[in-house]
Amino acid sequence: MFRLNLKIALRNLWKYKGYTAINIIGLSIGLAGCLLIFIFLKFQLSFDKGEEKRDRIYRIVSSWVYPEGEFFTSGVPIPLIPAMRNDFSEFEKVAAVHQGGGILKIKNEEGGADMKLRQDIFYVEPQFFEIFKIEWLSGRPEQALSQPNMVSLSEKTAAKYFGNWKNAIGKSIRYDNKADYKVTGVFKDFPENSSFPFEVVFSYASFEDKFGKEWGWVTNRSEGYGLLREDLKAADLEKPLKQFIDKHYIEKSAAKEKHYFQPLSEVHHDARFSNFRYKTVAYKELIGLGVIGLFLLITACINFVNLATAQAISRSKEVGIRKVMGSRRKQLIWQFLSETALITVISLGIACVLTELVIPKMESLMEINVSFHLFTEPVIFVFMLILVVFVSFLAGLYPALIMSGFSPALAIKNKISSASAGGLGLRKVLVVAQFTITAVLIIATLVVVRQMEYMREKSLGFDTKAVSMVNIPGDSLSRLKYESLRERLLQLPGVRDISLTSAAPISSGNRTISFKYDDRPEDEKTQLNIKQADEHYLKTFNLPLIAGRNLSKSDTLKEFVVNEQFLKTLGIANPSDAIGKTIGLGGGASPKKIVGVVKDFNNMTFKSTISSIAIFSDKNEYAAMAIKMDIKEMMNTMKKVEQEWNTTFPDDVYEAKFLDENIQNFYRTEQVMGVLFKVFAGVVIFISFIGLFGLVSFIATQKTREIAIRKVLGASTLELVKMLNRSFLWMVLIANLAAWPLAYIFASKWLNGFVYRIEISIWPFMIAMVLSVIITLVTVSLRSFKAANTNPIDALKYE
Amino acid sequence: MIKIENLEKVYKTEEIETTALNGINLHVKEGEFVSIMGPSGCGKSTLLNVMGLLDKPESGSYKFIDTELLKLNDKERSNFRKRNMGFVFQNFNLIDELTVFENIELPLIYNKVPATERKRLVNEIIERMNIVNRSGHFPQQLSGGQQQRVAVARALVTKPKLVLADEPTGNLDSSHGNEVMELLCELNETGTTIVMVTHSSHDASFSNRIINLKDGHVISEKINKNRTEELI
Repeated sequence: MFRLNLKIALRNLWKYKGYTAINIIGLSIGLAGCLLIFIFLKFQLSFDKGEEKRDRIYRIVSSWVYPEGEFFTSGVPIPLIPAMRNDFSEFEKVAAVHQGGGILKIKNEEGGADMKLRQDIFYVEPQFFEIFKIEWLSGRPEQALSQPNMVSLSEKTAAKYFGNWKNAIGKSIRYDNKADYKVTGVFKDFPENSSFPFEVVFSYASFEDKFGKEWGWVTNRSEGYGLLREDLKAADLEKPLKQFIDKHYIEKSAAKEKHYFQPLSEVHHDARFSNFRYKTVAYKELIGLGVIGLFLLITACINFVNLATAQAISRSKEVGIRKVMGSRRKQLIWQFLSETALITVISLGIACVLTELVIPKMESLMEINVSFHLFTEPVIFVFMLILVVFVSFLAGLYPALIMSGFSPALAIKNKISSASAGGLGLRKVLVVAQFTITAVLIIATLVVVRQMEYMREKSLGFDTKAVSMVNIPGDSLSRLKYESLRERLLQLPGVRDISLTSAAPISSGNRTISFKYDDRPEDEKTQLNIKQADEHYLKTFNLPLIAGRNLSKSDTLKEFVVNEQFLKTLGIANPSDAIGKTIGLGGGASPKKIVGVVKDFNNMTFKSTISSIAIFSDKNEYAAMAIKMDIKEMMNTMKKVEQEWNTTFPDDVYEAKFLDENIQNFYRTEQVMGVLFKVFAGVVIFISFIGLFGLVSFIATQKTREIAIRKVLGASTLELVKMLNRSFLWMVLIANLAAWPLAYIFASKWLNGFVYRIEISIWPFMIAMVLSVIITLVTVSLRSFKAANTNPIDALKYE
Repeated sequence: MIKIENLEKVYKTEEIETTALNGINLHVKEGEFVSIMGPSGCGKSTLLNVMGLLDKPESGSYKFIDTELLKLNDKERSNFRKRNMGFVFQNFNLIDELTVFENIELPLIYNKVPATERKRLVNEIIERMNIVNRSGHFPQQLSGGQQQRVAVARALVTKPKLVLADEPTGNLDSSHGNEVMELLCELNETGTTIVMVTHSSHDASFSNRIINLKDGHVISEKINKNRTEELI
């Protein structure tokens, strides 16, 4: 029976080639989209899942509660980890990690050029490797990381530096031209889906500030991890934590310090905190993608149901005969379901090929490495199996129920009408649902794209064009060369201006500090965002002064320029009132005068409000040169800048990035989201409209006789086209109305994540409506015009 | 073999009620060949559908060798049908996507006959029907007469006790029509009971008994003496 059913299924697919193609194309694309999304979700959800003791591993994170809200960081004060090791018997192990970075020099023993590169390094306590299980190829962490000036490398890095990891042991690496580190261990590479991109691991004993005592100073470069005892639960940590905070935070502070124990499973997903990969993917985003995947699948299944029920009449005779021969309804349902499963399996095959083709594009868009191997990764195989069953039931069950329910007495006489073939009402509902999904995606895409445009075009309040940020070494010897390098670079024809600074006006690294304003008795309850820069900063970035004057030349803190927000926060109405007042920075520095006020500029992404900012000179903190260039000579100028730089700092590694590129990188997630929306909206539109085309074709075929009779009676082609189009236009209009509230809720929720955002206007909604009406008109008219133009005699002759 | 008493069947639509069968009484003996005649809409096809368990009447009794069929549920009905009845239709009702061989094989598959036995039975009937060289063809590749032969072969392959034929020659020219009628006669001679609905007096002349229906009633019954003698 199965063989025979299979034959019938295949022959039917062949007989209705057009509809088969529509079903298979739609399903293949939908399934490929689902597979891609699944692979991405699987990768994102697999982060740190390989850790044996993952359920007991916690990261210690911090927050400060200010009147304006709670601020979170993944970092902890440096003295916290030793204190916790002492105070928390609840933890089996506690380990500190500190991220650093600098120039590594590896001597070439074969006489070639030495390797010189800028590299992120991690100071790691050996206990870390008792919490996290990584195989060591050579050495043991408790020894290899026990003394200062010891370094361990990942297998790949060791091979990169020394040709083969086995050659690495005992070799020496020079760090930041200051100290030599001996390679004492090699460990297996951390997996791609680990939150720890450790390649070069220094012993924590080498970390200069390892005995730091400052509880009020936190950077997200210092993290701490704890392994909870097996007999305890997370709740058991609450009481000791409270005691711990009370014990150690005794200094008076404007903010209330807090710590949390974050489960390892959250490290990759909680966007409030950063991690060493500097990438978190919130569950919200993953759910969003999952919903898009479901949309794709539903759209493709709707095509299937619509075409299958439309085709039902032509299968009625077969159903009748089978019933007469003794087939039971259950057998027929299984037959039709297995036909759907067959189409799904064929589509899945095509989807696999499509997925394979699209994966490299997805990898570069999302900056991840994923794999798609059916047999080595059974979970993908299982997912595909579930997809086949799910789609077969979702798409096949309704048509199967309809068709198997035909009365045999009517079916064998071809007396099944399209009304009893069912689904006319349902078909309409499904088409409306499909168009609703399409319209929601069109509107969402328009809103996302419009917000991205807005962010690209909105002025940040300073000049971002043709500014390159070039790193400068921070050691005392190099500092002596800053001025002379600046002078020489200014001689280059394409260079307009240069400023030495800790950071550009907008940057991801924002330093904040507590402060005291003028003669007010206490520290302000808010933090001050600080930027160290020379007197050329305002000119280089074109930051306009609204009161007072620019900074005068100085190598150390002498005076401040503040922004408008500073005045607003402190309740100073007139900018000139602030001139001459003093600011005392936290940590006991002597107060200095405010000499100028600059117009507000965005110092963080458009997702955050502008901070209160103070700009002042401090040569020791400069980390970059901002070079403003002539836009036409940029490339040429950059080459010459690099040459000059390399001559000045021969032991260092040159790195330059254009400011506007940096800024674009802040919106990477939004850009990816924009691309995803465009692609998936396009795919859903495509699937919906080929489905529509198929449905119209079927209806036109069914109405051949009606059309012919109407034509004989005098209907014009246009009237017939209008007749066929009318019901579809209504469906599209209803679908758009249904889509509006859904799209509005999504758009406003998404835009609420931005402080600087577009207002939702009627236009995306209108455009979506007009667009879907136009596409529907074109799709439907293509087919209905053909039907209306057929010679009526041809149709009537067959009766 | 068949005892039908007081059979009533009403078709209802939103506006009208049509009584298709109005207290029909009918007895058919084993080995009989009965024709049912009457004008369009008299209820003859409805009667055939009820006899074939394809339709349910409102009331009455339908006994097939002492089994009351109207009390059966859907599953029992389809089981009874596939074991005891064969059907021949005016429009042949072959499945277009299956070959001649596969079409004939279908009822055997539903009767769970093993594959080798199926093959033997199908080949046997194909030979008997003289369509051996057509067994790999699809229905659309055959003439009407050939298609009806296939349909008859399919009706007979399970060796049913009762064959129900609904205007079996309606779509055929006279020579092909005669061929099919002769086939049914041969079949009847081997002991199969046949009930046939027809418009054609010529076709009816092949049967033992002719029953005339009008407006859902049996209005007359005629014994075909030539054929009845054979039966006796």
